[in-house]
Amino acid sequence: MSGRDVGRATAGRVSAGALGDAGPVAAARVTKPHGGAVHTQVHPFEVRTNEPVAEGVWCMRCATPVAAELEPGQFVNLQVPGDGSHLLRVPLSFSLADGANELLELVYAVVGEGTERLSAMRPGDTSTLVGPCGNGWKMPSEANGRALLVAGGVGMPPVVACARMLAQNGVGFDAIVGAQTGSRHVEFLLDELRGMAPNEGCDCARKVVVCTDDGTLGVRGFTTAAMADLIADHPYEIIYTCGPQPMMAGVARLAAQRGVACQASLERMMGCGFGACSCCNVELTAGGYALCCKDGPVFDAREVVW
Amino acid sequence: MVSEQTSPRMAVSLGGIEMRNPVNTASGTFGNGEQFESFYDVGATLGAITCKGVSAEPWDGNPAPRLAELGGSAILNSVGLQNPGVHGFVERYGTYLESVKSRGCAVICQVAGHSVEEYVRAMDLFEELAPFAAGFEINISCPNIAAGGAAMGATPASAAEVMRAVRPHTTRPVVVKMAPHDVAEIGRALEAEGADALALINTIPGMAIDVRTRRSRVCRPTAGVSGPAIHAIAVRMVWECAKAVNIPLCGIGGVASGADAAEMILAGATAVSVGTANLYDPGCAARVVAELEQWVCDQGVTDVNELIGAFE
Repeated sequence: MSGRDVGRATAGRVSAGALGDAGPVAAARVTKPHGGAVHTQVHPFEVRTNEPVAEGVWCMRCATPVAAELEPGQFVNLQVPGDGSHLLRVPLSFSLADGANELLELVYAVVGEGTERLSAMRPGDTSTLVGPCGNGWKMPSEANGRALLVAGGVGMPPVVACARMLAQNGVGFDAIVGAQTGSRHVEFLLDELRGMAPNEGCDCARKVVVCTDDGTLGVRGFTTAAMADLIADHPYEIIYTCGPQPMMAGVARLAAQRGVACQASLERMMGCGFGACSCCNVELTAGGYALCCKDGPVFDAREVVW
Repeated sequence: MVSEQTSPRMAVSLGGIEMRNPVNTASGTFGNGEQFESFYDVGATLGAITCKGVSAEPWDGNPAPRLAELGGSAILNSVGLQNPGVHGFVERYGTYLESVKSRGCAVICQVAGHSVEEYVRAMDLFEELAPFAAGFEINISCPNIAAGGAAMGATPASAAEVMRAVRPHTTRPVVVKMAPHDVAEIGRALEAEGADALALINTIPGMAIDVRTRRSRVCRPTAGVSGPAIHAIAVRMVWECAKAVNIPLCGIGGVASGADAAEMILAGATAVSVGTANLYDPGCAARVVAELEQWVCDQGVTDVNELIGAFE
């Protein structure tokens, strides 16, 4: 089975695509001179650390100049050294892009041939990555709005990046993190989430709810159940989500029912990561397809057919 | 970079499409060029670009998943020619493609259709709306709705029918993108109907089955295989076709280096397209331009045209 699903194997991969033949979503987002992500370039990266943080989950920190250009929710497409038999790059979202130190933190699940090779890279190894790719999270339009983050398993890294963006901008938020039985890897990123600057104002102490399907960590149950409880009590302005497709579909449905804006970071098998090949299509409610890599990977949840 | 001698002449004519060098891009692997401008100056570097296939009316393309990584230096795709139709294409990309042309790079627009009538309608629209096009490429691998989905150009007769219908509708050069079978016979039929050049090969039909789910790994049972794995097959077909026709060829299939491109030229190709390599190595086509020029120098000739079909 190696080689199957090389794209999907990766943690919360974000995308970037070509507006090429996409539908109305894409058209509305074309703001650059040639309709593309004109700053997307090939950059070198050097592995600093690359270690397992839980069963099947690894954290790589690498030095790359593109860290200074990345926005939360965007992704990079890594060339992972190998024998050349697997052609495509490995697209990954990031939990931290430290521009000042040109450092990128990638937390990924080893689920396919590409991420298997990635986990074999050692400190000092070098390669290239393409980036920045895609469109990241958008800030809430209301300055005083409060946000809810809903992350599932390997969808956590871009949500952590989103949390950091909100904290740095003084936007209060709560978070729900879902994981499978015995998944300890979320604890790794939970520490980062809990360590961020507290919500401003005494009336909105941050809630971080963890759910597992058997209650081995946090409460027992689905993220959407926890979400229903939270949104019943809090006037969230916006919901940010990344995780397995069924989970995001449930989050999108609940958000729509409550009339709350929702941004979702989607994952697709990708060819290029910058909109050249039209392989990572996302079906739109308005009809037709957008490209995950270029029009996304962050989409307005209402525009996507779940 | 070329050193210690005058740069060789790299310009070629692909059936009347004048190219500053033989390097082109394979339709569907290069967007419409603009995504690659951040990697290198496309218009100032390449001999030509071939745009994504466009039909008279917009096509949604196929559902997901459209792509599978196969290992063995190949990928499998079934995009289904998602495109905004000729009007949408010109509206969205016309200004950009004018700029490509103005920088000295030929723009080749690819024409798609599900019937002979659809090809003709798309060609008429292109003629009217696309002054930036140096020529057209007819994709005869589109499924023929009337023939139950077999490719429009599956036989010499059906390929010739498309070419015969389209020919009177443009005075600009017409290249035909050929499927990887019967290239000598179909090539002769296309030449007889007035094709100015042939481009080959398109992807090779293949299958990839997820043995756990027993389902195809892409949205259709069969899809197109591309990548370095198919290069040797493509070179052989270019060679066979070159012996059969007198019109120029554009070699396509697994080209990822100057040496790969040189093989195509030696086998008989006048121009060469970089395809799948654009996806994982976005600077590839620009590198092929430089490497090909170096190869021409190394061969001790002053004009790349001297090497076309020079396989011994």
